[in-house]
Amino acid sequence: MSCKLVRRHLGAFVDGELDPATQIEFERHLEACPGCQEHLAFEGSLRQQTRDSIGGARAPEHLWGRTLHRLDEIDEARADHTSPIEVRPMRWRQTWPIAAAAAAVLIIGGVVGLPESPEYQSAGMLQDVMNLHSQALPSDVQAEAPQEVVRYFKGKTPFPVKPAKFEEPSMKFIGARYIRVGSRPAAALYYNLGGHRVTLLVFQSPEIVRNAQRTHVGGREIYYHDVGGNVVTIRQQGGVNYAFFGDIDRRVLFRLAANARVAY
Amino acid sequence: MPRKSKKIAVERQLFEVEAQPHLNALYSMALRLTRSPVDAEDLVQDTLVRAYRFYDRFEAGTNFKAWLLRIQMNTFVNRYRRATRERQVFDGPMAVPVGEGVMSRASMRGLTDPVGDAQRRLIAGEINRAFEELSDEARAMVLLADVEELSYKEIAEVIGCPIGTVMSRLHRARKQLQVSLHQHAVQLGIIEGDDDDDIEDPIPLEAFRSRKARKS
Repeated sequence: MSCKLVRRHLGAFVDGELDPATQIEFERHLEACPGCQEHLAFEGSLRQQTRDSIGGARAPEHLWGRTLHRLDEIDEARADHTSPIEVRPMRWRQTWPIAAAAAAVLIIGGVVGLPESPEYQSAGMLQDVMNLHSQALPSDVQAEAPQEVVRYFKGKTPFPVKPAKFEEPSMKFIGARYIRVGSRPAAALYYNLGGHRVTLLVFQSPEIVRNAQRTHVGGREIYYHDVGGNVVTIRQQGGVNYAFFGDIDRRVLFRLAANARVAY
Repeated sequence: MPRKSKKIAVERQLFEVEAQPHLNALYSMALRLTRSPVDAEDLVQDTLVRAYRFYDRFEAGTNFKAWLLRIQMNTFVNRYRRATRERQVFDGPMAVPVGEGVMSRASMRGLTDPVGDAQRRLIAGEINRAFEELSDEARAMVLLADVEELSYKEIAEVIGCPIGTVMSRLHRARKQLQVSLHQHAVQLGIIEGDDDDDIEDPIPLEAFRSRKARKS
């Protein structure tokens, strides 16, 4: 074993990242080679000095408290209004017997989909959508002119995003943010329906109507999935999928899906 | 909703117990990445908020600190660095190979055993300066390996690259630090400059292994 080789990989040796056989060979060489021993001493000493010089900053006292305050807000949001979208639906049902109509998710997806692994089928996607909603992430862009929202999503999503409009007067646009569903870029648009949180997700998902059931509302064809006692409602129109999710009365869901104006 | 509140409280307590011991490591790293105490605080807070939101995704039994640092790296790359036009990549200055024999024995000895506190402080200051001159990526490598002492596997997970890439990036980052440190130390007269060592070519470990395999 040459000095060159030992010195080249001295860093990995000090880190203990060589395979055991090579490690032993290095040790054997080092025992017999004063030159390499010096390199080793230098490597070790510099490591120590680097740690002492650039590490060891202490967090300011208030930082932990400040962070806990933010976590409190998340806990409150979770306890207050989460949603039909509890990951375990049975448990949710036990816990929230009366809190029907707490929230809804509306999904709008383009038909042209990105390739996705076969195991990421519609069921997994629906689960992800539920999780995204239950996390109640904050908006990045607040309720502003639709142009602001369009601009915010420009370059972020491979499709243009506009806040959908609804006939229901109590359906209010709150804000939006960029998000990912699986590996896909998506837009989450937040609404409020008579005090209940409604999330609208825009992403490309041809698979989401796979194995879905079908019905007709107001002359429109509607797909829906039953997920853990809750229902996801999907509308297809002009190469776009619209889907509602939530525990609100499914007739309300169907009507929202049928009447949403997205292309305007 | 007692059951739900209880579930949240338990999860919250677990998270706090697990996360708090790493607060200084997160802050230390954030400070070095952002170079600003204000930004560092925001980065740490954003990191912990994200970690708490995705706490159910953490795989029990894996390294929690590495998981937190990965979230922090991602948050930093996505939010803070995007704002600045600076984007140094390894294809840039880091791609230039650094010779192995970068300094003489005398230089090495001078840096290995600093004589007295004054010299120790001088060298510490020079290490700081050399570190600050490194690219974002190189600084991250040095921080994760030399300060946080993560394994190559953990660093690979934090950065999101193969272990082989960690080895070569880390090696280059350390060598750059050494070269820069050495040059300034000579200029400042901390050590004497002489150039009796030859600049050697790096030898890949694989070549040695295969040579060895052929012999046996």
